[in-house]
Amino acid sequence: MKTEDFRLTAYALGQLHGPERDAFEKELAASEDLQKELAEIIALSQALTDLPPGEDTLTDDQRISLRDECLKNTRIARRQLITRRVAIGSIAALAACLVVAVILSDSGTKYVTVVNGSKAKVAVIEEFKTDQEFTPPAAPSPTQALLASSTDRQLAMPNTSIVPDESGREQLQRVDQLKRANEYLRNSADLERQLQGRIAQLQTASAPIAQNLDSSSKTRLVSAEPADTIRRTEVNKQNPQPYADDSALHAAVKVNAPAASAGESRVVAATAPAEYQVYRQAGDARVVGGSFAGGTTDQSNWASRQLAGWDGYSTTPGVSGNESYELPPENTFVSALEVPLSTFSIDVDTASYSNIRRMLLADQRPPVDAVRVEEMINYFTYDYPQPKGDSPFSVNVEVSRAPWAPQHELVRIGLKGREIAAEDRGPANLVFLIDVSGSMNSNDKLPLLKRSLDAMVKNLQPDDRVAIVVYAGASGLVLPSTPGKDRQRILEALGSLQSGGGTNGAAGIQLAYNVARENFAKGGNNRVILCTDGDFNVGVTNQNDLVAMIERERASGVFLSVLGFGTGNLKDSTMEKLADKGNGNYAYIDSFSEGRKVLVDQMNSTIFTIAKDVKIQIEFNPAKVAGYRLIGYENRLLAKEDFNNDKKDAGEIGAGHTVTALYEIVPAGQPLPGPSVDPLKYQTAPMAPITATAPPSSDLLTVKLRYKAPDGDKSQLLSLPIPADSEVAFDKASSDFQFATAVAAFGLKLRGSDTVADFSWNNIQSIARKNLGDDSGSYRAEFLTLLEKASRLSGENSSH
Amino acid sequence: MSPEQIIDQALARYERPLISHARAITGDLESARDAVQETFLRLSRQDVRALEPRLAPWLFFVCRNCALDHCRKIVRFSDSPPDDDQVAEERTPAAEAAASEDGAMLRKLLGELTQQQRELLNLKFEAGLSYKEIAEATRTSVSNVGVQLHTTLKTLRALWNRENALP
Repeated sequence: MKTEDFRLTAYALGQLHGPERDAFEKELAASEDLQKELAEIIALSQALTDLPPGEDTLTDDQRISLRDECLKNTRIARRQLITRRVAIGSIAALAACLVVAVILSDSGTKYVTVVNGSKAKVAVIEEFKTDQEFTPPAAPSPTQALLASSTDRQLAMPNTSIVPDESGREQLQRVDQLKRANEYLRNSADLERQLQGRIAQLQTASAPIAQNLDSSSKTRLVSAEPADTIRRTEVNKQNPQPYADDSALHAAVKVNAPAASAGESRVVAATAPAEYQVYRQAGDARVVGGSFAGGTTDQSNWASRQLAGWDGYSTTPGVSGNESYELPPENTFVSALEVPLSTFSIDVDTASYSNIRRMLLADQRPPVDAVRVEEMINYFTYDYPQPKGDSPFSVNVEVSRAPWAPQHELVRIGLKGREIAAEDRGPANLVFLIDVSGSMNSNDKLPLLKRSLDAMVKNLQPDDRVAIVVYAGASGLVLPSTPGKDRQRILEALGSLQSGGGTNGAAGIQLAYNVARENFAKGGNNRVILCTDGDFNVGVTNQNDLVAMIERERASGVFLSVLGFGTGNLKDSTMEKLADKGNGNYAYIDSFSEGRKVLVDQMNSTIFTIAKDVKIQIEFNPAKVAGYRLIGYENRLLAKEDFNNDKKDAGEIGAGHTVTALYEIVPAGQPLPGPSVDPLKYQTAPMAPITATAPPSSDLLTVKLRYKAPDGDKSQLLSLPIPADSEVAFDKASSDFQFATAVAAFGLKLRGSDTVADFSWNNIQSIARKNLGDDSGSYRAEFLTLLEKASRLSGENSSH
Repeated sequence: MSPEQIIDQALARYERPLISHARAITGDLESARDAVQETFLRLSRQDVRALEPRLAPWLFFVCRNCALDHCRKIVRFSDSPPDDDQVAEERTPAAEAAASEDGAMLRKLLGELTQQQRELLNLKFEAGLSYKEIAEATRTSVSNVGVQLHTTLKTLRALWNRENALP
């Protein structure tokens, strides 16, 4: 008796195919023992299949939002795919051109060769897009294999039409298997009766589906599963236009295909399904229309990245583990004639710098998308004067030359928030929302946070209040709102923090907001400070709810700041977005000195907002400026209309904060760098009518600022014209100007910008070294170390 | 089929088996749910249509990884008391009623198998994967799946006969 014959099980389960099966059936027919055992296996298999399916499911909410999220992703993925198809199309077209050429000049035999060549390219591209986690063996797909097998026709179903009700399908499969097995068991009357009973049972249950399987009509198949159809219809109501989108895109691709086949493999433009407003070209980062700020257009942001052919999922060297970064492409030069207004939201975040510092010090090359140049510039404080009068901040403009392109001017716009002495600011009502999940265990996370907070608590004013809420912990509130004078209690609560438990984060953040609202400090600073390594543990699907909640709470006066910790799991873009939505700032704490900088030295500016929704709009005078580019702030750009729109959220500035933005300007009469555009066919570019409508001006540009009081809804306007003759030579510019320029060049180089390709690390270093200033805290000196590291990592020698 | 349809079908078809699959690894329902959500999100970022022919093994393989990731993360504070609903025997009264006596017995016997064996049975019987798909999902060979399943069923049969032999 061949009891160890695993073919028995395979056979019973319908997994034996072809000659193997035939051979086994012969053996089976000859052996009663085998038949008996087979019957047992079948009975057991049947019992196993009959077990009710697991009770556990996703919650309905989870399922719905998961589905939404997935469909959103597939739409993005599809755009990506279409982009690639265009690229493939262009290669094919190119190949076709070659083929024609070859045919004209040579015999037809080469035709095949060339076509094969193009196919190979296509294959390479296809391969490039296949998923990285799961590379299948190069075997025929299971479906194909199974198609060959008559017993498994049910598995071939998905290819031919809509799959009928699943349980029905399974039952059919079993009916098939049981029937086949049954043929060999006719001798055993007992077993047969038993099996027949089951078969009859199953057949009754699956009769309607069987009918439909035999029919080739799709409509009838659909009607066999009314429940499913209804669900799908409902679903379509939720997502009204998935297919409309699709066709729009196809149309666009068709339009673009000829251009692409003419040898230009870039997608020239995309169409505009309503939800995507911003489109970019791979090489031209100009905002064509719509808004592009504050994360409200993250989706379009994403879409444009995909369209530009970026692979958001590729592993970037230098990023460890699960970290994620995203950033639009670098701003390029824009003609001042065509686009005279440049609008952006200020950004006082500094996380990008400390995050990059962490990577460089670990000898990793930072991924380009982790480099937010403005955050690097703003990491350093600059010695701008205090504001005069009532204004919450001073505006300081300086004009000099760009050291990396001496023919270009460099304009620095520096804001300085009014300094407020700790005892003069309103009371702070802080709720720390601390991630204590297991991943926070390492030394650079929770322990570092505790040390930093410890230092902060020692500097609290007596009427400040601090509460601590933890999430991923069994209980939420670790420390109810406690006045600053009760320092000991706060420190004790801090000391008791440790990772453990499993509460969900959504409840934690709700609790934190509740505590903040219950202890609302009127005229003070009310803030939830989320401290995490990036794992919100709120259930992946709840992120939209989370953002909605943060925005709601912002309206009620409780802001959100985010402190990022640790490595390996940092959701950089999400954290920046959350802080941005919550009118707060985002800092990345990689060391105790950084923790002290953020939470002690700069606590007032970190937590005390003196003006919110600060937007900057520059109007360039085309008589003096041919073109310009904003350095950094790529994800803070606003549409020009947003400037006067008080509903449009923008960045906040804290007490004593400095914010610096740099524009590189191409003076009038000089060509714009970058690819040239053909002259327009249907209109003549206005060459010199600038003075026709406006009086001639000797201004270079005008800086306009809008801001709101922290509790205000109406914005105020500041306007500051800058005369064209205010330029000074670079080495005569202020030390802060020169240092900021060095940081900008550093950031641009890390981003791989062409504009500074010829400007060596050495040049940057010599500028930085000359302009360290008094450098309290040695931050600038540290910058020199990073420069050294970066130049070594990039392979450029900086030692001479 | 459009990617939307594929995802919808995958959700309808595999949600429960995937949760069982993940829960066998994580031990608790919430983590299993997280793992399954993560799996589908990852799926949606793939070229769904290209993946369709091997969708099931892909899902179960990725889900397994997600669940394992989860375990690695929370293993450090496993001192927290386990969820009450973690015990397999505790099921809703309706489910209890629906399950036959045989079913209840079978479930009990399943508890005596190794985790790997339960996983295998889950893939075969609850998820309805073919040998080939199971092999792909668990990264073993088809013949190994055959042997393992055969052995598992044999063990289960022995257990079954032992129980039924009792008076």
